[in-house]
Amino acid sequence: MVSTINDNPFSLEAMYQPYEFFARLREWEPVHYNEEYEVWMVTDWEHLVWVTRHPEVFSSSVFARDVRPPNPPIDEDDMEIYNYIKKWQVSRFIQHDQRRYNTEISGPDHVDMRRVMHGYFTPKSMEMWRPLVQSAIDELLDVVQEKGRMDVMADLATPLPLLVIARMLGIPDSDRPIMRRLAKDLRHLNRTGPDRMGPLSESVQNLQDYLGPLVDERIDNPRDDLISVVAEGARRGIFDRDMVVNNVMLLLSAGHETTINLICNGTLAFTQHPDQWATLKSDPEGKTVRATEEALRYDSPVKSIQRIAMEDIDLNGQQIRKNDRVRWFISGANRDPKVFDRADDFDVERYPNMHVAFGSGIHHCLGATLARLEGQEIFRNLANRFESLELEVPTETLEYDQLIGLRALESLPVKVTNA
Amino acid sequence: MARQLKITVDYNVCVGNAMCETFAENTFGLNEDRQSYVKDAAGDPEETIIEAAENCPVTAITVEDAETGEILFP
Repeated sequence: MVSTINDNPFSLEAMYQPYEFFARLREWEPVHYNEEYEVWMVTDWEHLVWVTRHPEVFSSSVFARDVRPPNPPIDEDDMEIYNYIKKWQVSRFIQHDQRRYNTEISGPDHVDMRRVMHGYFTPKSMEMWRPLVQSAIDELLDVVQEKGRMDVMADLATPLPLLVIARMLGIPDSDRPIMRRLAKDLRHLNRTGPDRMGPLSESVQNLQDYLGPLVDERIDNPRDDLISVVAEGARRGIFDRDMVVNNVMLLLSAGHETTINLICNGTLAFTQHPDQWATLKSDPEGKTVRATEEALRYDSPVKSIQRIAMEDIDLNGQQIRKNDRVRWFISGANRDPKVFDRADDFDVERYPNMHVAFGSGIHHCLGATLARLEGQEIFRNLANRFESLELEVPTETLEYDQLIGLRALESLPVKVTNA
Repeated sequence: MARQLKITVDYNVCVGNAMCETFAENTFGLNEDRQSYVKDAAGDPEETIIEAAENCPVTAITVEDAETGEILFP
């Protein structure tokens, strides 16, 4: 069938009216082939969950298995850099299959790698970080309260998760600004520009150069920090040294880029829904957990993730072929009216709330517990401190970074009224 | 003899991360929706089962003493 509707996930509409864009695709063809980018787009909840729960059919090992040239295309001269990027990607644990589902694997598999870090991120072990998160928020909000306004992005959403993940990893406080700059350039992976490989590989290289010595130190002399937890994987023969570096880099970037979006997108939702703000304010302690889940669903920090088909398969009547690229869209599934009543309403008391903001299945986000903790403390503290939150600019002037994978505001100016 | 456990999985929460099965493979399995189910509440030692429940990323698993109803986790 010829596409009669806009199916371009990089289009301005997909960036600025994503929920209209994904709703139309979901209703028309929830499993849809995009000819231009040669990728299957999955936009409903049922098929997204099926794809994520069947890793033997839809592999996460995207870069190792994908033999076709990148699409969106890149400059021809950059193919060598692309191969370097591929190698970097392949060493990240999230790009590995599990032996149980893909029997050809020899050596460590996804679950062996995940288990190196998994215990650190359980709901129970994450609780020890709540006091640090609370005190960091207090410090940031003291300044906001004095000024009566904030750029949520610069004054709250960026510093908090960066401070927390840097403290966890054991990175010196003074190095945080450079970490942020380097990590932010990893976003080029999610862009369309044919020249995106240069800045991407530069930031990967710089981060490797920065993190390498910190990792080497911990491989020899473990400390009480998260880099040492990952380095333990090298001592146990699950990672080699470069894999430790690249997985620490993954924890660093995933540990703050996405949470930034949760804080900004959630705060924006509260400015747009005064009734829901009032509900949260009626009992911040009691309501912040479900409110955070709803923020995750309503305007999800991560928009989409890619897989690669391991075999020919029929999905919703569509013939997907082995080695086809498949991208699932959280932003579509989380507004699916078949699963969520009044799916386009922001309802902070929603329960149950089976959103897929963290994906699902064996690759369900490792850092979900940390993101939740930070979101819960942010929304609880905002509600405790401020009477009202008011957007300082018209909604339509807000700018989003043009990424296929992340729902990332550029800035979010908000006026606060003290309680 | 070890006490009997009552183990329940909350299907409004379980995301099929399968860590429970990784930690206690004789106790937990995956159903056809690839969510966790209890195949044998006495499949593994109690501490192994508790460890599996602790490692659930979404705290979907509750473990009780089957006789007294005492909640052992969470």
